[in-house]
Amino acid sequence: MTARGPRAPRGPDSGADSGAAGASGAAPGPPARTAVDDHLAALDAALSGPARAKSRMLAEVRDGLADAAAAHTDAGAPTRADAAARAVRDFGTVEEVGPAFQRELTIVQARQTARIVALIVPFLMACWYLVGVTADDAGGRLPAPVHVLAANLGGLAALAALLAAGSLAATGAVSRRLATPRRLPLVVAWTGTTAAVALAVSALTLSAGAVLAQDWPVSALAGALTLVAHTRLAASARACRRCALLAR
Amino acid sequence: MRGDPVRGHLDGLLLAALEDGPLHGYAIITAVQQRSAGTLELRTGTVYPALNRLERAGLLRSSWESVGERRRRCYALTDAGRRALADERTAWREFTSAIGSVLDPARAPRPAT
Repeated sequence: MTARGPRAPRGPDSGADSGAAGASGAAPGPPARTAVDDHLAALDAALSGPARAKSRMLAEVRDGLADAAAAHTDAGAPTRADAAARAVRDFGTVEEVGPAFQRELTIVQARQTARIVALIVPFLMACWYLVGVTADDAGGRLPAPVHVLAANLGGLAALAALLAAGSLAATGAVSRRLATPRRLPLVVAWTGTTAAVALAVSALTLSAGAVLAQDWPVSALAGALTLVAHTRLAASARACRRCALLAR
Repeated sequence: MRGDPVRGHLDGLLLAALEDGPLHGYAIITAVQQRSAGTLELRTGTVYPALNRLERAGLLRSSWESVGERRRRCYALTDAGRRALADERTAWREFTSAIGSVLDPARAPRPAT
């Protein structure tokens, strides 16, 4: 949650009390940077998360701060810089409100990662199953260790997919009734990482299988698909780990 | 009144502000402040993540709409949001009535003997 603690009393004209607010404004050319611009830049630098979600969030904050500054101007703030500084003061410092923004962004990232695991992993399992069936039909050319490894990886992948689906529910409608556990994004991050490693091993196995199997194009295609999925998932899981650590 | 006491009821306040129709973020903030006649001061920065959270939970839905010369993200209550608001009201009435009858026993309705 946001930081608590006493704050400075808030008189109607306590003026610029945060950062370089009112000081800017000497440059004649483009419109001078106000406290709103500085605050948005600080928030942008402090937050990490999926680019689209983050820019949407910051665009909304920019609108809100512009509205607040306009309201302060209407209420009698002497200068544009002063109105902007008041809007920023009402908003709260990055230390105060940043954690709540980061928590939302982290959950957005965790949901993206969970969605990849929950959708791609079952699809790939179906592909692997087809590879197994075709290979067996073709005369059972896949060696026994490949079958054992595939069974274990399949189990792991199924578990990851279930966990991911559960996380999607927990951060969606279920969050009306049950608070989302703080560590859930980290769990999703490691679920994604585990699934990504499982996919990498599978891709290797399928490539090896492709060399051995008669029906090698099917194995090779499944291996290539798995590799693509691995790359996508590994990147998402990495982003999720970073966000989860930031949100703590 | 600010800080923790308000924070515990932020979701209910935001849902209530949207009861009469869709609003964008800053309009929601001013609606809460006006309805409380300036008594409740929201740290405006806490409102935006809360709106995002309520949308994720399916209690609100948002869309970008042109308001004046800018595009703004407007929020509206969903059916689940209306039900959540009704639940929040019931819980609040029960809570205030229980606390009231302890703090101010003279005004509390006497239970039948």
